[in-house]
Amino acid sequence: MTMRATFAEESARSRSIAPSARRGSGAAGVRWGDMLARGFVITCAGVVVLATATMIAFLAQTGIKGLTEVGLWPLLHGTKWKPEADSFGGFALLSGTLVSASGAVLFGAVPAVLAAVWLSELSPKMIRTPFRRVMEIAAAVPSVVYGWLALVYLVPIMEHVAHRLYGADAAVGGEGLASSAILLGIMIAPTVLLLSLDALSRVPAELRQGSAALGASEMQTAFRVALPGAWRGILIAVFFGLARAAGETMAVQMVIGGARKLPDNLFTPTTTISTQIVMDMQNASPGTTASNALYSMALVLLVVSVIIVLATRLLSRQTAT
Amino acid sequence: MPATLPEGSTPPNEANEANEARVRAPLRKADRKGRRVEVVLARGLATMAALLAGAYVAGLVHLLMRGSSKLLAVSSTPVPRAGVENESVVRGFVSVAVFALLAWAVIATGRMVVGRVTRMRTADENAADPKLGGWAIAAIAGAVVAVGIVLRDHVPSFLVTLPSETTAGGGVGPEIFNTLYFAVLSTAVTLPIGVGAAVYMARFARSKPMVGALRTALDTLASLPSIVYGLFGFLVFVVQMQAGYSLFAGAFVLALLNLPLVVGISEESLRAVPQEVEDASIALGATRVQTTLRVTLPYAWPGILSALVLSVGRVFAESAPLIMTAGTTISRGSAYSLNPFRGGETLAVHLWYVNSSGLSPDKADVSAGTAAVLVVLIFLTNLGASRLARFGGAMGNKATSRLGKATR
Repeated sequence: MTMRATFAEESARSRSIAPSARRGSGAAGVRWGDMLARGFVITCAGVVVLATATMIAFLAQTGIKGLTEVGLWPLLHGTKWKPEADSFGGFALLSGTLVSASGAVLFGAVPAVLAAVWLSELSPKMIRTPFRRVMEIAAAVPSVVYGWLALVYLVPIMEHVAHRLYGADAAVGGEGLASSAILLGIMIAPTVLLLSLDALSRVPAELRQGSAALGASEMQTAFRVALPGAWRGILIAVFFGLARAAGETMAVQMVIGGARKLPDNLFTPTTTISTQIVMDMQNASPGTTASNALYSMALVLLVVSVIIVLATRLLSRQTAT
Repeated sequence: MPATLPEGSTPPNEANEANEARVRAPLRKADRKGRRVEVVLARGLATMAALLAGAYVAGLVHLLMRGSSKLLAVSSTPVPRAGVENESVVRGFVSVAVFALLAWAVIATGRMVVGRVTRMRTADENAADPKLGGWAIAAIAGAVVAVGIVLRDHVPSFLVTLPSETTAGGGVGPEIFNTLYFAVLSTAVTLPIGVGAAVYMARFARSKPMVGALRTALDTLASLPSIVYGLFGFLVFVVQMQAGYSLFAGAFVLALLNLPLVVGISEESLRAVPQEVEDASIALGATRVQTTLRVTLPYAWPGILSALVLSVGRVFAESAPLIMTAGTTISRGSAYSLNPFRGGETLAVHLWYVNSSGLSPDKADVSAGTAAVLVVLIFLTNLGASRLARFGGAMGNKATSRLGKATR
């Protein structure tokens, strides 16, 4: 009976027809099919919610176990990550993630935003579509491919740079935070550029025309009208890039060197949360502190990305109103 | 800017002429360039953007060129077989796919060239590119399949042989198979659940808490780094269920990873279905569910399909969660087995594995080849997704006409 009531409610969308008339031919088979389809759709929605909840619960459970074993403060601020010595200081991991991700914003997102402004405001019209196409492909290229290209071409260059900076026989090399930051920057730039372009295209044309009518030059219009008009969307794009850079694993693993310690400078090997998880998880036997601590670090990473996403959502909600 | 001066005022002749000249002069684009500094700055921006785009183009072209030595190495002698289950069938498929790709490239280029030449000859700007008839397409497809099957032992050996850990000359046959098999397996999970959830959101959602929970769940899924999915899969399938590394676990995790994307785009395209079309269906006496199944879904199908294609692209690209759930190995015995409970690596994982712990002397070449295959696959999925997205309107019309036929 309740089923029938909801049915009537639903069909109230076309109000001119009485709900009873909408039950179609009245054949029981049709209604069975209807109920089946409706049940299936609701089940699907339920499965999505349930799977997500299970996932978070599983991770949180194991992660919190690790937190109680190690303690939050030692985990966040200890500098020694040595599972064999029962020492789990995740500061090197956390700082590796944060530094390389913010470096990526510097090297990737800033040029990408500038390029987006140029492309949408100043460039000749005929190159816009090809430019977009190239960036769409570049944004879809797998991160491991970027990682491999960086390993083959970027790391030797960075090694050269490092020896120029620190002297020929200093203990520096191409692997480290500098390479990771540049690699991540190259990786996120196309995505940031595309999202920024979308944001810029949502700025009403009237604003630009008004600016032109007041005698503003193209550059003034681009940087004083279009860019401020789209800044929320652009900030969202940058945050999106930041989140992707913070979560990236395998590409960074290939160029960061994988040493579980704080780096002396930008050109010595270190590690990040995600690379450490993927490298150590295979060897850590489940249930031990070594394994649980990794889950705790995953929780930390999760908190970092949730903060980024919340900031993004706050921004986008303000844009919508 | 006013083109004429007010009638009443008659300034001295010379001044008037000068004024007139200034006012009449068309407003040129150059006038908006601004001061010299701005021109220089704009030029700097342009250079930077050009360098950015140029770097990506150069990188991709270089990658394809470097990998092409592996991809185009057609051999006159048959590539020896490893004697693995299903090997012959997989070779057939790979070879047909290679020849189909070649045929498509030749036909597309030919159409473009012929179209351009006719436009130049007839001076008709709007002349369309020539189209192939249905029979021609069928004949070409048949020829491609036949040639592919006959020549299946002569495709570049890199594409069909097993990888090798320590010696040179390893291929990526099983990796290609696994990559595509992952796409099928994870789509088999994402398609029903993702589209179901999207239909619920777009058409059947009435319970506020449920919608809120679903939105939160999808937002959460979208914000998680992929390594977290890997950890979850590892914890559930490898540790708790003691199932070891398996394609099944990897496909499940990838499906979860792709849900926000698929639900998001599907919901959007379901919402974009015009109200009139649905109203017409309901006016004809169809129930809500019938309308959704026969009208709304077919109308929104191109959008849903392009979401699925995009999600397949992500399956191709993902590596970290797969390393933790499906492992980094290829077992010789079951390299081409359809059993989803075996482990196996994809192309992306292989690219990482070869560089991090591979010992083969030609790992630079193998990496280049693997990366090139991956990029070609990604390129094709992207092309497919954008074609489908453009297809939207046409499909919609087809759906409505099908509805017309069904109810007549």
